[in-house]
Amino acid sequence: MDGFKRRLRDSVQLRLSITLSLAILIVALLAGAFAFTSALDEAHEMQDDALRQVAALFDRQHMTLQYPSAEQAAGEDEDARIIVQYLADSEHAPSNNDNAIPLPFPTTLADGLSTLTIAGEAFRVLVKTTAAGQRIVVAQEADVRDKEARESAWRSLLPFLILFPVLLLVVGDLVRKLFRPIATLSAEIDQRDQQALHPIDEHHLPTEIRPFVVAINRLLKRVEQAMETQRRFIADAAHELRSPMTALSLQAERLKATPLSATAQERFLPLAEGIERNRKLIEQLLALASAQSLTARPQACVSVHAVFRQVLEDLLPLAEHKGIDIGVESLADVQVVINEMEMFILLKNLVDNAIRYTPAAGRVDLKVTAQRKTVLIEVTDSGPGIAVAEQRLVFDPFYRSLGTHESGSGLGLSIVMAIVERIGARIQLGFADEAKQSGLRVSVWITR
Amino acid sequence: MRILLVEDDLMIGEAIQAVLNDASYATDWVKNGLTALAALDTQSYDLVLLDLGLPGKDGLDVLDTIRARNNAVPLIIITARDALDDRLRGLDGGADDFLLKPFPMAELLARMRAVLRRRGGNAQSLLDNGEVSLNLVSKQATTAETRDVQLSNREFALLQALLIRPGAILSRSELEDRIYGWGNEVESNAVEFLIHALRRKLGSHVIKNVRGMGWMVSKGA
Repeated sequence: MDGFKRRLRDSVQLRLSITLSLAILIVALLAGAFAFTSALDEAHEMQDDALRQVAALFDRQHMTLQYPSAEQAAGEDEDARIIVQYLADSEHAPSNNDNAIPLPFPTTLADGLSTLTIAGEAFRVLVKTTAAGQRIVVAQEADVRDKEARESAWRSLLPFLILFPVLLLVVGDLVRKLFRPIATLSAEIDQRDQQALHPIDEHHLPTEIRPFVVAINRLLKRVEQAMETQRRFIADAAHELRSPMTALSLQAERLKATPLSATAQERFLPLAEGIERNRKLIEQLLALASAQSLTARPQACVSVHAVFRQVLEDLLPLAEHKGIDIGVESLADVQVVINEMEMFILLKNLVDNAIRYTPAAGRVDLKVTAQRKTVLIEVTDSGPGIAVAEQRLVFDPFYRSLGTHESGSGLGLSIVMAIVERIGARIQLGFADEAKQSGLRVSVWITR
Repeated sequence: MRILLVEDDLMIGEAIQAVLNDASYATDWVKNGLTALAALDTQSYDLVLLDLGLPGKDGLDVLDTIRARNNAVPLIIITARDALDDRLRGLDGGADDFLLKPFPMAELLARMRAVLRRRGGNAQSLLDNGEVSLNLVSKQATTAETRDVQLSNREFALLQALLIRPGAILSRSELEDRIYGWGNEVESNAVEFLIHALRRKLGSHVIKNVRGMGWMVSKGA
């Protein structure tokens, strides 16, 4: 019940539907009750009129009465009949039998309408004094009258019974239709890419929602500007770091060329490694900033094997150094329309990761397969793989697996993810060997 | 050889100048574009190393001015700017090569040698990647273990193809294209056969196989 209350408070649509339905219900009940009682009264009125008509007819035509025997009366509808008799005959009414006429009405009745109980049954009775001075009684059983009156009153309720559910359906449908622009709008915003911050089209929206959407558009614009500023800052900062890095690495190279003592040479090695790590970090930061930027890049038909080759040419020294057998599994090349530089950076980061996290004398395989609408590229290694729980985390910038000894920047997979999102591809991490839960297999699906 | 180094960063300039001097290049170092243009007016250089982010006159403007004066001196841009636009403007503007900071000094020296070689025509008669050198005239190969091994025409063509760009992977069909002229019937397994022969003559480490891709010689130091 609390949940319903909360939903009622939160949802304008629900509140509107329920309020309107309740209003319709109350109006329908009131109108129904009024129609019912007035129809009931109306019916009784008409039946009384019928009694009066019979009495008047009897009086005007100067009719004389002949009571039918009980047998004759059996043919008619005994309950529905209208009885006419002289009031004076009531005294010699045969018994307490309501079937036989005359009936035992009290002879003291005054002229006019009344309701009496005769022989255990209720009667509506009209007493009239005729022009000839005789007093006659026109009577009908009250049961029948009530039954007929009720039937006609119920019939008067029929329009309400039909109208109420129809109105409910109409109101529900109308409310849903009126709120549809909001639902469509939220679906549109939900489907957007992470990077898509373009304004929402406000032209087809109702005027009531438009100010809200305009405000959101202004917010989106501010967010976009803030993100752009941040991206530009990362790019600029990394650029600015390049010059001092160059100076540092060149000076270190000169130092290496001079004759050094054995200790100095030993200490020089970590220094050179540190410089190399810094250089790589700057490159990765720049690659990430560029992958996240919104600028569109020219696309062309690119041979995946050609990109494999560039990546291998770049990374072969690293693989050879670790004694890793690296190669391409697929025999047939596949073409894909993409920006070649992005494709290269994507694959280079994946292969670089694979080589880094695969122990010496391991194996790294590259593979491309053409599927119906996509191109599947797989990079598989014989390393430890990534635990299922960790598979989502590794895409976060600067995330580094526990227990890793590799001196990575922690940006490689973030760059991969940024490019994947940018080009509308899909990426999935898994195990190269599902049974043993070992080895990393990265699958990337690129739309053809 | 006389080199003009245009670099405003003191530490970088100093380091490059020292290494160039060690490598027996005579180096003049200027720190802005106007001085660079003045130096080019008074002195003839074999090569210019040009930084783009210069105070006063931008490196690309300096390049434009040099080329506008019909000075065809070989020129390598060294810069921290990696935007594709800058790269294209530099190369379209008449630069011979484009080197992104930070770079190892060995790479700069190699690029300088390559540019000078290209500009000097095909006079060079030796291809070398540090592991194996190939004499283009006598068709003899030399490694650390062997000396002046005579190669057959096809062995020579294959090794030459690999040594033109050390570190580049060439596929079987690319190697076949280099070995066989047009209209020559390509024999199956010819590439494997030639590589086997070359490895036997020069040592197995000289030519490396990349599974599924092709063959290469290492890039060298």
